[in-house]
Amino acid sequence: MRLDKDSGTQIPDVDLGKSPSGFSILLRELIRDKVAFVSLLFLFLIIVGVFGTSIILDQDDIIKVDLFALYEAPSSMYWLGTDYGGRDIFGQLIIGTRNSLAIGILITLLTGIIGILIGLVSGYYGGTVDNIFMRFVDFFMVLPTLMIVIAFVTAVPGYSIVSFSLIMTAFLWMGIARLIRSKALQEKELDYVKASKTLGTSNFKIMFFQVLPNLSSIIIVTMTLNLAANIGIESGLSFLGFGFPESTPSLGTLISYARNPQTLELRWWIWLPASILILVLMLSINNVGQALKRATDARQRRG
Amino acid sequence: MGKNNKSKVLILSLALLLAACSGDDEATKDSGGKKDSDGKQEQKDDGLYSIEDFSNVKTNEGEAIDGGNITFGLVSDTVFEGTLNWNFYSGAPDAEILNWFDEGLLTWDENYVYTNDGAATYEVSEDGRTFTFKIGDNVNWHDGEPVTAEDWLFAHEVIGNPEYDGPRYNSDFTNIEGMEEYNSGKADTISGIEVVDEKTLKITYIESTPSLLTGSIWSYPLAKHIFGDMAVADISSSPEVRENPIGFGPFKVESIVPGESVTLTKNEDYWRGEPNLDGVTIKVISSSTVVQELETGGVDLISEFPVDQFPDNADMSNVEFLGAVDRAYTYIGFKLGTWDAENNRVQPNPDAKMGDVELRKAMWHAVDNTAVGERFYNGLRWNATTLIPPSHPEFHDDSNEGRAYDPEVAKTLLDDAGYADTDGDGIREDPEGNPLEINFISMTGGDTAEPLAQYYVQSWEAVGLKVNLEMLEFNTFYDRVGNGGEDNPDVDVYQAAWGVGIDVDPSGLYGAEALYNFPRWENEENERLLKEGRSEEAFDLAFRQDVYDEWQQLMVDEVPVFPTLYRAVLSPVNDRVLNYAIGDGTEIYLSDLAVSQDSPVTAE
Amino acid sequence: MWKLIVRRTLITIPQIIVLSLLVFILAQAMPGDALTGLIDPSIDPATIEAMRERLGLNNPWYVQYIDWIKGVIQGDFGQSFRFKMPVSDLIGARMINTLWLSLATLILTYLIAIPLGIISGRFNDTWLDRAITGYTYIGFAAPLFIFALVMLFVFGFQLGWFPTSGSVTPGTTPGTFEYFISKVNHLLLPALSMALITTVSTVQYLRSEIIDTKQKDFIVTARAKGASESRVYNRHVLRNSLLPIAAFFGYEITGLIGGTIFIENIFGYPGMGELFLSSISLRDYSVMTALVLLFGLAAIIGALLSDIILSLVDPRIRIK
Repeated sequence: MRLDKDSGTQIPDVDLGKSPSGFSILLRELIRDKVAFVSLLFLFLIIVGVFGTSIILDQDDIIKVDLFALYEAPSSMYWLGTDYGGRDIFGQLIIGTRNSLAIGILITLLTGIIGILIGLVSGYYGGTVDNIFMRFVDFFMVLPTLMIVIAFVTAVPGYSIVSFSLIMTAFLWMGIARLIRSKALQEKELDYVKASKTLGTSNFKIMFFQVLPNLSSIIIVTMTLNLAANIGIESGLSFLGFGFPESTPSLGTLISYARNPQTLELRWWIWLPASILILVLMLSINNVGQALKRATDARQRRG
Repeated sequence: MGKNNKSKVLILSLALLLAACSGDDEATKDSGGKKDSDGKQEQKDDGLYSIEDFSNVKTNEGEAIDGGNITFGLVSDTVFEGTLNWNFYSGAPDAEILNWFDEGLLTWDENYVYTNDGAATYEVSEDGRTFTFKIGDNVNWHDGEPVTAEDWLFAHEVIGNPEYDGPRYNSDFTNIEGMEEYNSGKADTISGIEVVDEKTLKITYIESTPSLLTGSIWSYPLAKHIFGDMAVADISSSPEVRENPIGFGPFKVESIVPGESVTLTKNEDYWRGEPNLDGVTIKVISSSTVVQELETGGVDLISEFPVDQFPDNADMSNVEFLGAVDRAYTYIGFKLGTWDAENNRVQPNPDAKMGDVELRKAMWHAVDNTAVGERFYNGLRWNATTLIPPSHPEFHDDSNEGRAYDPEVAKTLLDDAGYADTDGDGIREDPEGNPLEINFISMTGGDTAEPLAQYYVQSWEAVGLKVNLEMLEFNTFYDRVGNGGEDNPDVDVYQAAWGVGIDVDPSGLYGAEALYNFPRWENEENERLLKEGRSEEAFDLAFRQDVYDEWQQLMVDEVPVFPTLYRAVLSPVNDRVLNYAIGDGTEIYLSDLAVSQDSPVTAE
Repeated sequence: MWKLIVRRTLITIPQIIVLSLLVFILAQAMPGDALTGLIDPSIDPATIEAMRERLGLNNPWYVQYIDWIKGVIQGDFGQSFRFKMPVSDLIGARMINTLWLSLATLILTYLIAIPLGIISGRFNDTWLDRAITGYTYIGFAAPLFIFALVMLFVFGFQLGWFPTSGSVTPGTTPGTFEYFISKVNHLLLPALSMALITTVSTVQYLRSEIIDTKQKDFIVTARAKGASESRVYNRHVLRNSLLPIAAFFGYEITGLIGGTIFIENIFGYPGMGELFLSSISLRDYSVMTALVLLFGLAAIIGALLSDIILSLVDPRIRIK
């Protein structure tokens, strides 16, 4: 699963080199890269569509059980059919995507904030502070994260989107912390930091108003790629049966219906749309992320 | 077949609860569903099935060949524990394996009453307290040693030993004279058990009750020549239980792949005569691969078919589906008190939120279990009326209709009891005018679990009751319901299921001193009836039936819990298999099992 | 070098202790215990209480923890509450299955990654490269469990080429050739499903590494000296690109751990991951804790191995 994303396999990904940064370059590259541009458009449409539609849809109505509409195949009434509770799959798909996206974004932001803070402080100060923080990171890195998260969610029954995201964040912030730290280590050796120090600028100011903006492109790239991974995490846990209750539909709960072989074989409309959607989402986000990465890496920049 | 012991059946309740919910179909009793000449189930127009249309005995096709091997699929999503001894096992999967190579000395008929055609026969004394058992001369352990009265006594001694680490020691044992003295170390022997001669055993019970005849006698001997020298605490983990288990059943264990499979060969010396088959392979299959395994002939028989997969596979061409009424029911319970751990009895709370019987009646009337059974289970679960399921035909009161679905009656009951909507939000307040929010918990597991619970919530909402649902995983659920004696005060209503023992006596579930009386309900009338049901007078069948009819009505009047669904068990059997039956008292035994061709029939 | 190994090993000890403590506390916090499952009116509640007492389930968690950790130090993981056998015996059989599965996955991962990565890197921007890159993009995006489900559905059920559950055909005698074949047959589909997904990052890495390397000065020099193209690749480019891949072997172990839980669950393969999930729902704490600890240990050793190999093959990477 993607829980291992931060644990080493992906390390080669994050050699971004030094390059002129700035949003304008990122954006220009993104638009120039056709695949990425289409992906971005897709993503935009999905997000706007999902959040827009979910405002109109009545969630209570969607999760309402209808005994006389079980396992309906797709029709004009139910665009994507119904599940074994007679609940509209299309509606669940919309709400589910919204929930999954919300969780993914929340986890990405939370891990981002924690990771940036720890990485920045650790890298900027170096020495003992760095040593302590990095031992801490090392410890978290080797944890069998998936198993611990499963144990955790079993011990804390009845969690919400927010508490679930918090649990996940506790085990997923290390990758970005490590990355930011190594960049901050390089950055603080540069002349502009030294100059600021001699001028007596406070460490806080240097860290957050001078070093941080220089790392912004790396942060954007990493967080984009993490977003895809984090959406996958939720669906994976739901699939194993450690996710959300059905009254909180998510892409993961919809796919987990396929654990019933009858559903897998005979009622594709329950699990297939969610599977495809998750694939499209992750592909799009990854494409955008990869394009951004190329944009920050002068060596691979196209044209 | 089906000579399970009582405990097994009860532990089944777990399996049921966990696997709860699977749908199939139902048939109205007179509308089709006839079997064709092959004994196959016909698809009905309305997609509904009825348990009445299933036979519990396999239709034999073709001639038996000599020997042959079959594969038995143990449907389980976890591995089997491998405590392969009746005296120690605690999981239903282990019991399924045990059935093939070991058995009780007594068998019972379709009403679960002990018969005299098992490996041992019995006689009861005048006062109904002393039983004399005679083990057949040709009953021998797999290693050739005779099964003796000593072995039977030894089983009692081990279970009664304070060092015993299995779950069997219960009121059936404490009802034996001298057992408690032996258990507490005050006596070296059990005074109520006497070995008369090598094959004769005499047991004296303290109280005579009809329950003794329906499963309360411990009929599983323990081979003393093997386990006699072991410390009691070491037996359950010994290789003689786990790796080379012994029994006196129709087959012998040849090899075990822990948790995965067991290979058995026939016991030529079996007391009913040499089995027809050469051997049996038992393998664990998950519920998601059952259909595949059956169609390809990967298994000939399985332990239990997931009912929700039946409608899609009812026309599987190479098997015949056998069916029987399950000894179980699903129910909804109301929390009416707490458990008093000091005095080991329930502590009813007169001010409980669900304390008003009219409210409870209304909630029963508000739910349409016929629709639930038809829609979610295609009729293979159906509306339950009383707390004694039809699996006990002698005691299930057919004429008692329970409380039928009628939301208007529910509304009237609520109105009359003072539950009115005083603030006009469509939700009823309690008689004092305070907001009423009822907390309902139900268990996850299986696809239909959540929609089913959700449906009940909607039904209650339709009569104006606000109910909050929380779905909980098995362990958390029972923790909150009060399995450990600590009832969670936030629970008002819960949905669960019980497997019922072969003995009909419900004291263990509804008596005032029963920990499993989760509603924590106490009622004088109830205590009287439960007591009469196990009294000496109750040996008279008509008397006992009257008592339990009265009890079933009492539960309909008082509604501490109400039954929701009865269940069917389905068992597909490969066409080549002969002489097989499920259920009790069929007089078809595993040693009769045969096949009509060498390899399984596969699906077209 | 030795200093590094000793130091890293020493750090491992507090890591393991904190990990075990964490898991133990989590286990205690879960509602219910190993005996909750015994809901059976024919069992006297007093009997269950006595069993609880005997198993030490009523002791405060720190007493239970100290008892347990004392055993672990002596190599005794305690008794399984549910299976009533030593945890080490219970895990033993499963561990062998999981080891085989992991090994097969690793081998397949490299068998797929190396040729694909080399082709893609050597012939970059050809249609072949684009096809491979396309595969890696999809593989990168596809969640493992969805892919495994589809594989099971297609090759296990529809085509029937592989068994759909278990680790060996019942009744085959251990040690025979037939037994071995049956084991391999049961292993192939799960391992392949996992390898096809986990391999993509290695393919991607190898590809960009080769593209980088082949533009480097010494390659250009070698080419200028008239070395044949295949010689350039075999002698220079590959050596430089493959060594780091070998080093990531250790990190792969961490990834495999998460993967086996899904794969064993989907393919009904009786390994440690499946045992972990069932021990959670059965509340078999001793088994659960031991499993997390073992997996954690494997990950730690894997990371240590990788660090050591990395510092050996690439002196530029200095590990502190």
